[in-house]
Amino acid sequence: MTDPIVTLDRLRVTFGAGDATVTAVKDVSFSIAPGETVCVVGESGSGKSVTSLSLMRLVEFGGGSIVDGRLTLMRPDGAVDLAQADTATMRGIRGHDIGMIFQEPMTSLNPVFTIERQLTDGLRLHLGLSAAAARDRALALLKEVRIPEPERRLKQYPHELSGGMRQRVVIAIAMACAPRLLIADEPTTALDVTIQAEILALINRLKREKGMAVMFITHDMAVVAQIADRVVVMYRGDVVEEGPVADIFANPKADYTKALLAAVPRLGEMRGKPAPEPLRLVGDDRAPQPLTPAANPEPLLEVNHLTTYFPVRGGPLRRHIANIHAVEDVSFTLNKGETLSLVGESGCGKSSCGRSILRLVEPASGSVILDRKDVLDQNPRDLRRLRRDMQMIFQDPFASLNPYMRLSAQVAEPLRNFGLAAGSELTDRVAALFDRVDLPRSYLRRFPHELSGGQRQRVAIARALAVNPKLIIADEAVSALDVSVQAQVLNLMMELQADLGLSFLFISHDMAVVERVSHHVAVMYLGRIVEIGPRAAIFENPQHAYTRTLLRAVPIADPGTRKLDSDLSFTPIPSPMHDLTYRPAPSTYDTVAPGHLVLRENA
Amino acid sequence: MAYLINRLLSVALTLFLISVITFAVTNILPGDVAMMIMGTQSNPEALAGLRESLGLNDPQIVQYGRWIGGILTGDWGTSLVFKEPIGPLIAQKVTASALIVVMSMTIALVCAIPLGVWAAVHRDRWQDGTASTAALIGVSLPDFFWGIMLILLFARGLGWLPSSGFVHPADDFTLAVRHAFLPSLALGLGLMAHLTRMTRATMTGILGQEFIRVARAKGLSERTVVWRYGLANAIGPVLTVAGLQVGYLFGSIIVVESLFNYTGMGWLTYQALLNRDIPLIQGSVFVIAAVVMLANLAVDLLYTLIDPRIRLA
Repeated sequence: MTDPIVTLDRLRVTFGAGDATVTAVKDVSFSIAPGETVCVVGESGSGKSVTSLSLMRLVEFGGGSIVDGRLTLMRPDGAVDLAQADTATMRGIRGHDIGMIFQEPMTSLNPVFTIERQLTDGLRLHLGLSAAAARDRALALLKEVRIPEPERRLKQYPHELSGGMRQRVVIAIAMACAPRLLIADEPTTALDVTIQAEILALINRLKREKGMAVMFITHDMAVVAQIADRVVVMYRGDVVEEGPVADIFANPKADYTKALLAAVPRLGEMRGKPAPEPLRLVGDDRAPQPLTPAANPEPLLEVNHLTTYFPVRGGPLRRHIANIHAVEDVSFTLNKGETLSLVGESGCGKSSCGRSILRLVEPASGSVILDRKDVLDQNPRDLRRLRRDMQMIFQDPFASLNPYMRLSAQVAEPLRNFGLAAGSELTDRVAALFDRVDLPRSYLRRFPHELSGGQRQRVAIARALAVNPKLIIADEAVSALDVSVQAQVLNLMMELQADLGLSFLFISHDMAVVERVSHHVAVMYLGRIVEIGPRAAIFENPQHAYTRTLLRAVPIADPGTRKLDSDLSFTPIPSPMHDLTYRPAPSTYDTVAPGHLVLRENA
Repeated sequence: MAYLINRLLSVALTLFLISVITFAVTNILPGDVAMMIMGTQSNPEALAGLRESLGLNDPQIVQYGRWIGGILTGDWGTSLVFKEPIGPLIAQKVTASALIVVMSMTIALVCAIPLGVWAAVHRDRWQDGTASTAALIGVSLPDFFWGIMLILLFARGLGWLPSSGFVHPADDFTLAVRHAFLPSLALGLGLMAHLTRMTRATMTGILGQEFIRVARAKGLSERTVVWRYGLANAIGPVLTVAGLQVGYLFGSIIVVESLFNYTGMGWLTYQALLNRDIPLIQGSVFVIAAVVMLANLAVDLLYTLIDPRIRLA
């Protein structure tokens, strides 16, 4: 094995001072060799980002300090201890010996400078290039990261580029001075799955061609399986396990790694199973109970030709000049006690569809029949009554709970609102709801900030359950949660379905989670359902080109099934904005098998 | 270009509305121009005759048409107090006040931006506390307090600068600036406090953004990161607030110009109000409104040069 480029030895990082000192990284040691990708994996708060920021000594700008340990970087002229290096040395290393990519491509670029300026200032600083030479090099870099029309991009500003293109620019900036170590801190977390696949393939190719060392930080075990050579598992500031990627997945040693891997839904592992079933978590001895649907299921929710537009206004008088066609002629049926998933990439209309059903946004046309009543025909008073039957769980449990209200009051609110309970009965019912979602009753008096993300999402579920709804619309309800917490919340939702006969409309971008929980799946693209059918049909026999694209792009949490050998390039999604005269064609479907419909492409 | 036309159209529309409001309000005030000219003890018949000859008995809309027609053709009428044509009178006073407004704004921006950035860079440390406390004191104390302090210190105490009077810049520029300096400083201190707080708040937000971290990760010096990457993003909001403060300045010059006996727009408006010189009030209010609007238009246009996202919007 070649000598490592960087070696971390007993790194310890703290934040704050005195009594308020928090140790974010306790004792971390590992090394990275040239041409090797080391994935640092862990959940939020594990210290993985702090470790990477320490290597760049950027941790100081966030109020942290490296209190112990050595960070040895091999440079052509000898080894440097990054923990002790002075400011001038560090400036020479940042962007030159070590390049870094961050999570949010939307905010990683300075909005008021051109792409050219942001690409060239590092080149001019570190390599002393002239303006013309730096420009040539910038152009070459944009070509290397395979951005379409690179010449034009140089003159553009960040807001003129899509998220995927921006992340390519950020990678080009990090690669500008041919660094020997590339640190990528969750570089694909904010991206859609097809773009994630493209970016992962790009990083992989650059590593191969340049022989760089890559330190890749992620919380996503599927990404780890796709890109890592070696894996470092972190938990609460410590390394709990380290080893080659195949060993970690096949034969995890640490309890934490085992629990983490058990909680990861893997695309394809539901193959051959007739019904969704909870994940089998570590320490859970019960055999998972599959959610077999009734033999002759009754429909609960029928959505017919649902269409929702958002007006676009412009000009000095804010005239209505165009429409965003968010939901375009969508029809589906959700049975009692079953889960239908709406899956698709950002902007496909899946959330707008969920909101239209509840009339949180007003649809333009169509019908939504819930238990033989048309939601869209109700007057405000009847609609209010009908909303008792349909509740929603939102993505961000930090934003969907009122920070100034006690949890008991928030769960009691829907009951009070509908006058369903009062006095001691109300108290009892709220307490019972807390039991139902496995929250201790001592939490009743707490405020949201005293809970973790998973606990808050349980409160949101309890609140939705309070009025005994028939339908729960879960809009990305587990996307913001760490994987082990996500698994627990998913299991809770499935358990509630089994016990209470709930129907879920499960809106998600995550194919592996969808495969785990759904009876039926609808794939959305540009406001339309392009393919709908039983779960097995969609995952095992996908017919529509877009469904196949999505499934091809999803990383699989299995190092034996790698997909990143060649550069990937998927067709970007066109804009759903059209002028007022645009009349879309109706959605027509071909039946592949009973219940399995595929959108007919209009030539 | 479409943006520019849109903005100019909205300025024209707003000026029209301001002219209507100005005209209406000054006509609702008790006592009319004829009464002002002849006095309250005058002969009712003579008063009626004067009303007729001044056209005060015509419908309001005709009177407004006559007034706005005069404004547009350069005939602004005659001041009752100064017995002078209003157009040239206002033109001269606007020049005097413009000097103060520009100087105080320059003083405020030149001090506030570095101070605000400095406070944001050293957020939650003693530098930030010092700057924030100083700014809070600046915001809390009224302009005339600063005016009195400045007169006591620089005019009475040290004798460096004159404490009152106005010299036209065309006559002697240096002397004009010396006379304008203390009133400008009195106005600038309060303004500076506002803008320091604004700069600090905006910069604090921007320094927490990911692109600042990316800039640092490129190895750029901290000076480049803060003063180029950071300030380029903060300057737009700060200038917008500065533009809005021009309106506040024209309110404040009424007090400050009177204090320094500086004969500018503020002083003129005060005289007009004191003597119910209705034509002069109308002209002054209209001019002040127009200047404030144009200042904001200038800021908006400047913003499009700084922030590329506005250009396409």
